[in-house]
Amino acid sequence: MPPTLRTELQNDTLHIYATGDWRLSQLNALPAWQYAPLPAWIELDGGEIVSLDPSGALALLQSLADRGVNIADMGLVHFSVAHAAILDLVRGHFDASQAAEPARRNWLAGLGRNADAGMRHLAHLVNFVGILTTEIFDLFAQPRRFRWKEFVNQIEAIFVHAIPLVFTMMFLLGLVFAYLLGRQAERYGANIFVVDGSALAICRELSPVIVAILVAGRSGAAITAQLGTMKVYEETDAISVLGLSPYAVLVIPRVLALLLALPLLVFVGDIAGLLGSMAIANQQLNINPAAFINRLQQELDTPTMLVGLLKAPVFALFIGVIACYMGLSVARDARSIGLNTTSTVVQSIVAVILLNAIIAITLVKLGI
Amino acid sequence: MTETLVEVDQLVTDIDGNRILNGVSLQVMRGEIVALIGGSGTGKSTLLKQIIGLLRPTAGHISLFGTDVWSASSAELRSLRQRFGMLFQDGALFSSINIEQNVATPLFEHTDLPKPLCLKLARLKLALVGLPGSAALKMPNELSGGMRKRAALARALALDPELLFLDEPTSGLDPLSARAFDDLIRALSDSLGLTVVLITHDLDTLMSIIDRAIVLADGKVLGDGSIAQIHQIDDPWLRAYFATREAPRETRSAIAGTTSQRAASNVTLNTI
Repeated sequence: MPPTLRTELQNDTLHIYATGDWRLSQLNALPAWQYAPLPAWIELDGGEIVSLDPSGALALLQSLADRGVNIADMGLVHFSVAHAAILDLVRGHFDASQAAEPARRNWLAGLGRNADAGMRHLAHLVNFVGILTTEIFDLFAQPRRFRWKEFVNQIEAIFVHAIPLVFTMMFLLGLVFAYLLGRQAERYGANIFVVDGSALAICRELSPVIVAILVAGRSGAAITAQLGTMKVYEETDAISVLGLSPYAVLVIPRVLALLLALPLLVFVGDIAGLLGSMAIANQQLNINPAAFINRLQQELDTPTMLVGLLKAPVFALFIGVIACYMGLSVARDARSIGLNTTSTVVQSIVAVILLNAIIAITLVKLGI
Repeated sequence: MTETLVEVDQLVTDIDGNRILNGVSLQVMRGEIVALIGGSGTGKSTLLKQIIGLLRPTAGHISLFGTDVWSASSAELRSLRQRFGMLFQDGALFSSINIEQNVATPLFEHTDLPKPLCLKLARLKLALVGLPGSAALKMPNELSGGMRKRAALARALALDPELLFLDEPTSGLDPLSARAFDDLIRALSDSLGLTVVLITHDLDTLMSIIDRAIVLADGKVLGDGSIAQIHQIDDPWLRAYFATREAPRETRSAIAGTTSQRAASNVTLNTI
């Protein structure tokens, strides 16, 4: 039976009869009723209420209060003992349920908050790099404290396990790149220049950037998630309490592993990309592998290779510092790990692409 | 008023080849506050998960409000789930939404009420469990452990259930907060006519608010009755359990040495 309200005026007293099931499962909206003007004394008659739970009691009081009834000062009649207890309990907490809706955030305040958070993030990152630098100098003083086992584990996770992925991705990329280049070159009979183009693009730009992005997504995210989980479970605090430094134990091995692994992976990527180009050149442009390698030897000079390989440690440093910093700045809740991991990937990729642009422009100006 | 709300009949549970529960039967009547007690690993939490329909038992029957949980259709199970509330051990508040939204979530999902009214109902539940209005807009990680438990209790009460399951409601709380939480559960049970089934290790909870206790040991029900009756049972674990409260300090440490399963918290550095 749906909850309803009915009114009746007797001797200057308004009797409001509540009837039916005043339970959450029976409520769809507040029951409609109206009476104006309200007399001085109002009595709520609960004799016909079949059932009442706290939600129903709140709905009842709310629909009375919405029409201007002073619910703190009205008579209650014919309520059963159990119903009266619930109604009194809810009436006692009625004001607490009426808290105003929070004001909508305006975009200007949001912009300010975000700018502030951004500046603070940058300041903390600089602070992190400072601490990391002093920790590295400490390590020079006491080289025995370097965590070789952790370093080797990280090399395995970041380098060895990533080889199949990097190889496959760069092979496909080299293949597609040489194919599209070949389509253009064929029209001018400049087939052999596909080798020059592919080699230059893959070794100087594509392999370092693509491999860095792959590593940022794969290892950067893993590092943040792992350090973040350790932070949430207070493992990093335990390391500090044991007289060790989380930087020496966790951060330095990871950053160094990235510094070593990324150039190696870029080299793997170079090989894979060139193999992909060689495969499509043989198929599409009738350049057999021997001719391809011969041309490669003439055209691919050492500076081009070095530019590609030496960009990798720069990217690695940024990925490592961002990933470790984001991991150690996780707040103590589950949501924060996910947010920071996403943020690591975004920041690392942005950093890689920005750095690559800066390096490219600088090298052109230097004439390398 | 002797309606049976929870009925467990000859429940058997194997997990990974280990028999966790071996023929457990129990009943809970409307209006009772019943505690499940027993040592670590006796299957209390497993039993509770099976009763609320999260874990399928190997054999036996469980009914809630007269409906068999494990043969009910998904629609029946859904309507059944609106009639009981569950307080998880660590609260299990959704960490991405604020406290008020947490409490209002069941209302948004299961009722057609307008959103402002849902939020008012959520605020009412928060007030009923004794949380100040300022807590409503905070995120779960901004609250203390005791306040998180209260907020989780408010969420469990959101749909005005007739039956409430509590998994170690006072664990992780300081003694004062724990006693206040006990009083809150008793008061809510009395004023709202709630039936409560709780798992606890807390002797003070047991002594103060419980109508009946059910002791689990070796996958079976070892005892079922008032605290005084449970006290009479001759069992080494129960004797040691009650002795932790009665024995003076010296003997207590001796008992603790033999019975306590709590391993000293050890930090493993093998990932480092």
